[in-house]
Amino acid sequence: MHSELVGKINSAVSGANAEHIAAEVGDDSIFVSSEKILDVCKFLYSAAGNEFNVLQVVTGTDYDDRIEVSYILASFINNLELILKTKLSKSSADATPEIDSVCEVWKSADFLERETYDMVGVIFRNHPDLRRLLCPQDWEGWPLRKDYVVQKTYAGMEVNPEHKINSADIYFGEKMKQGAPEPKKVSYSWKKPEFYPEGAAPAANKTTTEGE
Amino acid sequence: MQDGLVMMKLDDFLNWGRKNSLWPMTFGLACCAIEMMATGAAKYDLERFGCGAFMATPRRADLMIVAGTVTLKMATRIQTLYEQMPEPKYVISMGSCANKGGPYWQHGYHVLKGVDEIVPVDVYVPGCPPRPESLIEGIMTLQKKIANERLVRDKWVKHA
Repeated sequence: MHSELVGKINSAVSGANAEHIAAEVGDDSIFVSSEKILDVCKFLYSAAGNEFNVLQVVTGTDYDDRIEVSYILASFINNLELILKTKLSKSSADATPEIDSVCEVWKSADFLERETYDMVGVIFRNHPDLRRLLCPQDWEGWPLRKDYVVQKTYAGMEVNPEHKINSADIYFGEKMKQGAPEPKKVSYSWKKPEFYPEGAAPAANKTTTEGE
Repeated sequence: MQDGLVMMKLDDFLNWGRKNSLWPMTFGLACCAIEMMATGAAKYDLERFGCGAFMATPRRADLMIVAGTVTLKMATRIQTLYEQMPEPKYVISMGSCANKGGPYWQHGYHVLKGVDEIVPVDVYVPGCPPRPESLIEGIMTLQKKIANERLVRDKWVKHA
């Protein structure tokens, strides 16, 4: 489905630069140029044979140099599902890249794009109501960016108060790694007889199992 | 004897009335609220303790059960709701999230690390989420606390 769809997109929308990315694990996707996302979506919505009439997900992923915005489309008419992705280059760490909104194609894009704006800081051009969806309106920063640092206070409340956080245990995972010689080994302590009251231990062949 | 007469201390009389008619506010934030609903429903029957009348407004409530994760966005609303409740008012912090941030204690950028940062808490109920029995025990602890209050000494009498 993907390769013939790539051909259709490229012939219908000039400059879309659609390419088929075969996934090692999971589902294949189609990358398109971010400038032509609206035209591509209009084409996929209306062209005969596709009729992707449902937009299921819009989400963003932060990489160091770029943000990828993913759209999961579905066609309830032809029983198809498609992952459409686009790359947005990020000039600096706190830059907010822009892309066209697809609200005029699918109404459901409204909240999905607001969430993407809220979490990864992608500005959707021509969006009817681009506000934060989950975080408070006066929140600072984009929480799902890799380099996100949470603000110290919000509305007079400390976000991470020192007296509430056990700083000796804050790098708990690190401590576990250093302390344990074989972190992946399972001790099976719950199968040992002394763990159980008299006569309640499981069968003897199971109690001697050590590691896997 | 024609008219019944009971002699008792005014404190004891007021405390008896208050502890046996604690009206909680209809107010749940997350999965703990499901347990709170179960506590109020027929099987655990919170009405036995006189506190099954969940009021849909803070103006008529005595008890706020903070049941669930307190996000920073919600925290400002909780402050408002607490201020809207008439005195005397009590707060039960239900579940790990409301007690101290719960699983969000380290990386939860959006979670208040304990509701006692913003409102005074009377009883903490541990658990994730606490079973209805735990919440009932928390309420009974609060009732014991109320039974020992003194009219002129306690926090809610501002100018006694």
